[in-house]
Amino acid sequence: MLRYIFYRTMVMIPTLILASIVIFTIIQLPPGDYVETYIGELLASGETVDLARVEYLREEYGLNKPMWQRYLIWITNFAQGDFGYSFEFQRPVSEVVGNRLWLTMLVSFFTIILTWVIAFPIGIYSATHQYSWGDYGLTFLGLLGMATPNFLLALVMMYLAKTYFGVSIGGLMDKEFVDQPMSWPKFWSIMEHLIVPTIVIGTAGTAAMIRRLRANLLDELQKQYVITAKAKGVRPFKALVKYPLRMSLNFFVADIGSLLPAIISGAEIVAIVLSLQTTGPLLIAALQSQDMYLAGSFLMFLATLTVIGVLLSDIALGFLDPRIRLSGGASK
Amino acid sequence: MLNGTLKLKTALSIVAGAALWAGTALNTSIGTAFAGAPEEPRVMDFAAADKQIGKRGGQINLLMAKPKDIRMMTVYGGARLVAYDQTFQLQADILKKIDIEDNKDFTLHLRKGHLWSDGQPFTSEDFRYWWEDVANNAALMKGGIPRQLLVNGKPPKVEFIDSHTISYAWDEPNPLFLTALAAARPTYIYMPAHYMKQFHEKYADPAKIAALVESERVQAWSNLHQRFGRQYRPENPDLPTLQPWRNTTKMPSERVIFKRNENYHRVDPEGTQLPYLDEVIVNMSSSQIIAAKAGTGETDLQGRYIRFDNYAFLKKGAEEGNYKVLLWPSGRGSEMVLLPNMNTKDEGFRAAMQDRRVRQALSLAIDRTEINETIFFGLARETANSVLPSSPLYKEEYAGAFATRDVDVANKLLDEAGYANRNDEGLRTLPDGRPFQIIVETAGESSQETDILQLVTDHWKAIGVKLFVKPSQRDILRGRVSNGETVMSTWQGLNRGLATPEMNPEELAPVSPVQAQWPSWGLHFDSKGTAGEEPTLEPVKKLAGLYSNWRTAANYDEQTKIWQDMLSIFTEEVFTIGIVSGGLQPVVINNKLRNVPEEGVWAFEPTLYFGAYMPDTFWLDE
Repeated sequence: MLRYIFYRTMVMIPTLILASIVIFTIIQLPPGDYVETYIGELLASGETVDLARVEYLREEYGLNKPMWQRYLIWITNFAQGDFGYSFEFQRPVSEVVGNRLWLTMLVSFFTIILTWVIAFPIGIYSATHQYSWGDYGLTFLGLLGMATPNFLLALVMMYLAKTYFGVSIGGLMDKEFVDQPMSWPKFWSIMEHLIVPTIVIGTAGTAAMIRRLRANLLDELQKQYVITAKAKGVRPFKALVKYPLRMSLNFFVADIGSLLPAIISGAEIVAIVLSLQTTGPLLIAALQSQDMYLAGSFLMFLATLTVIGVLLSDIALGFLDPRIRLSGGASK
Repeated sequence: MLNGTLKLKTALSIVAGAALWAGTALNTSIGTAFAGAPEEPRVMDFAAADKQIGKRGGQINLLMAKPKDIRMMTVYGGARLVAYDQTFQLQADILKKIDIEDNKDFTLHLRKGHLWSDGQPFTSEDFRYWWEDVANNAALMKGGIPRQLLVNGKPPKVEFIDSHTISYAWDEPNPLFLTALAAARPTYIYMPAHYMKQFHEKYADPAKIAALVESERVQAWSNLHQRFGRQYRPENPDLPTLQPWRNTTKMPSERVIFKRNENYHRVDPEGTQLPYLDEVIVNMSSSQIIAAKAGTGETDLQGRYIRFDNYAFLKKGAEEGNYKVLLWPSGRGSEMVLLPNMNTKDEGFRAAMQDRRVRQALSLAIDRTEINETIFFGLARETANSVLPSSPLYKEEYAGAFATRDVDVANKLLDEAGYANRNDEGLRTLPDGRPFQIIVETAGESSQETDILQLVTDHWKAIGVKLFVKPSQRDILRGRVSNGETVMSTWQGLNRGLATPEMNPEELAPVSPVQAQWPSWGLHFDSKGTAGEEPTLEPVKKLAGLYSNWRTAANYDEQTKIWQDMLSIFTEEVFTIGIVSGGLQPVVINNKLRNVPEEGVWAFEPTLYFGAYMPDTFWLDE
């Protein structure tokens, strides 16, 4: 097992290097650069542009250097913990992202919990009562949640929250509390504003989870050991939880890998609509304006978390399911 | 100062207010660390501006979308060395007065006892520091001295006569000087020297600078100086300012609090120091939901990020949200223009776009009445891209040039231009046999553009021209235009729709590669002939020549004459095809907020959006 972990950790390094190259290239694929975006914005608001000065701006940001040079500078700094500089915010990336990190984690935490709380009972119920009215009805609800565009749901719910409960539109707290130290009123305000995002982002994920849990559980429930257990008079609940449910959780453990980056990034599009002070909108805006170090470092951060997450879930799966441990080690 | 004085005299003084302030006691008891308004403040003429005396206190909230948007506080603040008044005439503002001789010699007089927001005196040292240690420092001004201060490439002779007097003298007239100082994005010719010296290699302790360079992660001291010294975008809460409100919040933040500048130089007629409002708070929000937030009363003063499409929604929430919605006409020469790219790489279409008759015909074929009725509820003006009626340069012939639909004349013009042949579909053909199909590329920013173009498509069918719309994206479009890859694109009309003769007529001449109707010719001018192509069309050369003349025009009359010649050529030649002008901008105002005019113009220049309506006189009636 230790050898396996060591081997997997070593494999992470080339994976991350490859990821960094891909990220850096893709960010720069669209024509133009941050300075172009900046000019466009000036023109749109009617300001005049002194193109001589613009060239110096490019020089200052190092945008006139060849791409491989920029890549090397960026990645060596990244490895040393310097994530570069955001053109848009005129602050170091770590500061810009760090500012929003804990609110993002808070939102993600609540939405993930909500997804589990809804999806687990429904998934188990659907599997054990396959093709019943309850199965169809709940699955329908779940699919409805998935099919409704999140941003639409977000807009409707924000409007309702404002009209009936007086919760201010968008954001994660009332404006008086921004940048204020934590206090009970502030905490209460955050909780109030968390309701809409949690429901909107949370419901989107439930349908998928319900279906996967249902399918996995159904596979298990039809196996002979379950039938034998039932025939031997094991109580139905125990016959469900003791082995079949545990076996069907493999997918759930495998999901942890993607969960880690999701906690940090939050739901991007919905967060824009809801005007959440999370990292998602930051990333989208950075990609749009080609704020390349902000976008690059953030994506790289997510890539690192994904790789670590996958490793963690693989190890967990190895402990959970001997089959994976053996075949995984042998084939790799 | 009257308009007349400017026109008649070559030597004149712009003096602030009607009379010098008599010396009544000021209401500046708050904050003993500050000394209050200057001994010689600018007494605002409330009668002329139709304002009432207000009460000090209170705070208002604005909504913005990006951290960069806090520069709007400098635009809204409106304090400039010289500033435009309600009739778009220049007045001394931060300056006590300015003496001008032939647009060549300018003597600036500062107010006695004027202090920066941090309580340090504002003197000619601040001008000297900028001129000698910033503008003429190669490390700080990599592009050289700002071009507004150059005449034929030559800088002025600057003298610092005493602590309150500075003079700038050029060999030839520089009419751009004052407008550059008064611009929405002003040319700063001063800087808080006492504060900035700590970042300047000439004055500061090298060890300290080295430490700062390290901790701020910049390359050199010059970056440091630049970062801490941004006056237009007030990100640095420690940087002293002369604006009515000073930033007190370190960026990045979602809520930027601007507090009263206790040393602001304007006072109301009773001697109460402005601004009336204690605080202006800028809340950052995603631009998509700003209209929704405004509709529930979460902003007290908003124009940015709300659009005419939002009007009905805003109106509906007005009572509950306790605000009113005004409609201010936009100050642009046209809401949308079609820009025929006369430097396109496509030879067939280049010839067509360069032909005056084609451009005139395309403009004549547009049914502006239908567009106005359908898209603008009949509230806009059906005009060419020109100056607006409230501009002193307005003439009906400019606005009306080729702006009334006449399909017969249009057809005749196109026939004459050599596009008489038609294909099976009834489309005209180019000499090379291709059908006359124009792809119009848009920046893809609003559905309004595409809606208008859809209507124009129908209108152009009548003259045998087919239009295809290709929505793109702002930066990509700009790149394609300057490479000559587009035949036609869309953008907004003239920014200076409210031009006065003193304003820069650069938008009418080929001076910059960002001008989509002649990017290559513009580049030629901008690069002083080292890049781009020389204009081939006679009228375009003439515009360039006229512009150069304006740059050294000595007086108002000369400037007026040049502006009018330029407008005449520009509209007669239809270098840009304007659709309609006077589109409306909804402005949301808290019901308790006083002194906001019912009628205004929404423009970056010369009204600085709200800036020219003096937000420092706005107050809350509670």
